[in-house]
Amino acid sequence: MNSLLLSSINVSSLLIVIAIVAVLAIVFALLISLVSKLCAVKEDERVSAVSEKLAGANCGGCGFAGCADYAKALVEGRATINDCGATANEQKEEIANILGLPFTATVETFAVVKCAGGSKCKDKFSYVGNKGCTFQTVFAGGSKACADGCLGDGTCADACQNGGIKIVDGVAYTDKALCTSCGACIKKCPKQLIELIPKTAKVYVACSTKCRGKDVMGVCEVGCIGCGLCAKNCPEKAITMVNNLPVIDYEKCSGCLTCVGKCPRKSIKEI
Amino acid sequence: MAQFIMIVVSAVFINNFVVVQFLGICPFLGVSKDFKSALGMGLAVTFVMTLTCLITYPLYALLARFNIEFLEIIVFIFVIAAIVQMIEMALKKFSPSLYNAMGIYLPLITTNCAVLGVAELVIDHGQMASLIGLSSPEMMNMGFAVLYGLFAGLGFTLAIVIMSGMRERVARLPISKHLKGFPIAMILACFIAMAFFVFALI
Repeated sequence: MNSLLLSSINVSSLLIVIAIVAVLAIVFALLISLVSKLCAVKEDERVSAVSEKLAGANCGGCGFAGCADYAKALVEGRATINDCGATANEQKEEIANILGLPFTATVETFAVVKCAGGSKCKDKFSYVGNKGCTFQTVFAGGSKACADGCLGDGTCADACQNGGIKIVDGVAYTDKALCTSCGACIKKCPKQLIELIPKTAKVYVACSTKCRGKDVMGVCEVGCIGCGLCAKNCPEKAITMVNNLPVIDYEKCSGCLTCVGKCPRKSIKEI
Repeated sequence: MAQFIMIVVSAVFINNFVVVQFLGICPFLGVSKDFKSALGMGLAVTFVMTLTCLITYPLYALLARFNIEFLEIIVFIFVIAAIVQMIEMALKKFSPSLYNAMGIYLPLITTNCAVLGVAELVIDHGQMASLIGLSSPEMMNMGFAVLYGLFAGLGFTLAIVIMSGMRERVARLPISKHLKGFPIAMILACFIAMAFFVFALI
């Protein structure tokens, strides 16, 4: 341990050490600064300004590899501001100001799964194989007897970064509080059952079948039979029937829940 | 020629940096989720390893002349960090597509212990002589050091590419929730390591 004592330090060797490390440091510092001069790439300073204003969720819902990539795409004009579902409207307005683009505020939305079947919907066959709805769909459109039924294999739940989708009783449910409206699940669902609806919405149609009532009756306990009772009874005339399915106009809907009470199949659900 | 083959077999298989010597585990587990980024990471590491050996080997001779070999780790880290920094800037300028593909993984190589490991290994003449079958430690030279660095990097690439292929396949299987992701990756890494240990027994 003697060598650690201050008096035993050899001053000249210490100086050599300091000199060599200093020379190395200077050489590499010069090299790096030289290379950085030679390889200087002009970066748009708007990119960093825009990415600061973004939500930073890195959800990938916009289709780009994270928020930084999206910011770059925004500056280069390859994307539009409303491609991002996670950023708040005030922030989007600031981004629009930075880029000098016009901006129209969007309604804040969240995702809902338009199916309530699960175990209440019959199976065509029992599926054993690779996990995931995408794989299952390859085999005769999946195991559900309903062509537009949730397979409940959790592809959307895997896609959700916030853990906002749970599979309950064989059908996926979204969590309004956890949803950032990024749209990742919408892209993954092979049955295209997930849709964004306004956060202010009180009801949603939990069925996607386009079949007629008789065909639905034999397959699913909670499927919409297209009877149109909801449309007839809606005091605001906010519901129209399209392809045997009710479509709710959320601008007109007052949230009176009449349709929920009138639906004989309980296909319209309260949020 | 025989020496060359010996270096290849030793660096890539028998003393594979990742699965036999357990160096550079962080990128091995972190960047092995898909094949493309694993290959990019492997090639970047190979490049940095080769360059590092090229620079640190003569630099160590310089340190040894002044009897200050104890500075090796500081100096080597210094060299590695500087090389990675310069490569990053050069890539950004000359090959933006490759830069984008590697993105975050490139700066991560600075802290990859496999790179420091190979720099430390090639200066140890006695150890190297036994690893690549030289008759005496004096025969070790810079050419061998750089070759060893190159093939150690390729060994790293091989391991990470095998791992990414296995992980891509396992990701599609119906495995238990508790094993999914990282735990199953550890088990796979264990299998690869066992396979590589066979080379040491030959």
